[in-house]
Amino acid sequence: MSTDTAAFSGPTRLQDNTDLLELVNESMAHVSRRVYVDPELYQIEQERLFRRAWLFLAHETELPNKGDYVTRNLAGESVVLVRGDDGVVRGFLNSCRHRGMKLCRADNGTIPFFRCSYHGWTYSRTGALRAVFAKDLYQDSNLRKEELGLIPITRLDSYKGLIFGSWSSEVPPLPDYLGKMRFYLDLFLGRTDGGTEIVGTPQIWNIEANWKFPTDNFTGDNFHLYSTHGSVVELGLVPPDPMSLSYGHLIRAEGGHVLHVVPGAPDPAYEFFGLPKQLVPQLERNLNPAQLGLAKKYAFSVGTVFPNLSFLQVMIQGDASSPPTPFLSFRFWEPTGPTSTRIWSYLFIDKEASPEYRKASYETYVRTFGPSGIFEQDDLENWEECSRVNKGQIAQRYGLHHGMGLHLQPDPDFPGPGDAWPGSYGERTQLAFYGEWQRWLTQAKPWVRP
Amino acid sequence: MSAASKAITVAVPAGAPEYCEVVDWLYREARLLDQGEFDSWLALMALEIIYTMPTRSAVNPKDGRGFDHDFGLFAENHASLSARVARLKTDQAWAEQPRSRTRHFVSNVIVERESNDDLKVTAAFMLSRLRSNRPLDIFTGERQDTLRRDGKLLKLVRRLILLDQTVLESHNLSIFF
Repeated sequence: MSTDTAAFSGPTRLQDNTDLLELVNESMAHVSRRVYVDPELYQIEQERLFRRAWLFLAHETELPNKGDYVTRNLAGESVVLVRGDDGVVRGFLNSCRHRGMKLCRADNGTIPFFRCSYHGWTYSRTGALRAVFAKDLYQDSNLRKEELGLIPITRLDSYKGLIFGSWSSEVPPLPDYLGKMRFYLDLFLGRTDGGTEIVGTPQIWNIEANWKFPTDNFTGDNFHLYSTHGSVVELGLVPPDPMSLSYGHLIRAEGGHVLHVVPGAPDPAYEFFGLPKQLVPQLERNLNPAQLGLAKKYAFSVGTVFPNLSFLQVMIQGDASSPPTPFLSFRFWEPTGPTSTRIWSYLFIDKEASPEYRKASYETYVRTFGPSGIFEQDDLENWEECSRVNKGQIAQRYGLHHGMGLHLQPDPDFPGPGDAWPGSYGERTQLAFYGEWQRWLTQAKPWVRP
Repeated sequence: MSAASKAITVAVPAGAPEYCEVVDWLYREARLLDQGEFDSWLALMALEIIYTMPTRSAVNPKDGRGFDHDFGLFAENHASLSARVARLKTDQAWAEQPRSRTRHFVSNVIVERESNDDLKVTAAFMLSRLRSNRPLDIFTGERQDTLRRDGKLLKLVRRLILLDQTVLESHNLSIFF
């Protein structure tokens, strides 16, 4: 018995004979509107991308103690993560082997063992079937307990506090999957002695938009700021120069992992992403010289771990009377349908940060981002309206344009791995994301690079 | 138990003049929000206003009600509420262009007077919102308000919004509760 997804063997055309390779054309800067709305494409995407790739599940600090659990979905399957007596986090289908009943029905909690509420089968925190109701009424040959343990998530691993899972036994190990992106993730997750922890429980909300719209935005779209967020520009919460976020780099870290890095105002306050200066000695000992150089130079970074985990490290004002304050938010864009997505937004904080900084970082985050944020309210409006309009059959005759900055050559002097294009307004990173998405839909082993 | 929750409070019964004054205040506040009179609404907020909405998990009863008071969906003071109102007056607050059509329903009002004469008001609310092509958004929950006398007026100094939703079925919160 295996939870492996079937070996890739599907057609590379949709039922109407459209070739999947026509949906995205990087050299032509073309993306079909169908990628955001098509139900058939959604099913193919679930099978070939989401049931194979490494997907974010939780932050380790969401389940700090033995017996703590959280319930999540992994590619649409209900799963539970639990911390065992040995301190190890394990993940299982959240489903009893008897009738399939959902075992843990709260969002989080602490359990000594799993006990199904339907007929009372119990399982240890390592997933072994321990007891069934009325066991004397079974013949031993009809109840092989060793074969009836909880079904483990095929692959489970973590990187700097982020727990990922995959239903594929073929996908490369997580460190290889993250590849060059680890260098950049360390700027946020590995910069201080204790790493990061989450603040509170995540904001969770459902939107009527395809998951690729928020992801596209978080692949490094800086140039939407002065139109989408015109209201906060008017309020004076961002610099009036409409090119203010263009003076950085767009980075393709391979594997569909992308980000941008952008300097802040020429003021030491914006160095090291604006983190409190007492944390800087920790950055100096935890980052390598290339990483430290980047951290010192930049104030803003937005990016995406392929396919649907994004991050946002920014330093902004939450209102006119508060100073610019940094925060780090991680986003999981969970697809729930062709045009529906569940957003999980986490605020991360360096464990070593002071209570005052935590409070300021939280207040800045919640006033600017998340469902009520004075920036993100308008993003959410965009992503839903894009998804609605692109359902039109006439609209779908016309592709969408992703052509900004494609004539630029990578900067050979950029000190980080991957390709880095100078100028942080452009659509290289979006196209890299869609190109990788297409690889996963059309290739048996998309992780094998030419 | 915190010191605040141990404070001696006196019930202000339904029908008492102060109770009627509070209910009238709540209704008029709701009307200002539903009519888009945000400057007038802001004038009901005390300068020391704390306006918060915690996130919530679905947890088993032994783990409490699931509210997370370290994190939330609003963490506002007077300056940030003012920024939100100022934003709505620009022509580029797209989440409210066109304007959401809201209806704030307030009921189950219980009023208690605290030892410093502040009025502690708990109420159930239902907030409906319609906009563009979205289905009807419904928010339900409980508000825990503290009203303080400022001359002849009552001003809001604290609002804790306890949503029933753990997962919002709405794309954004571009409205006030």
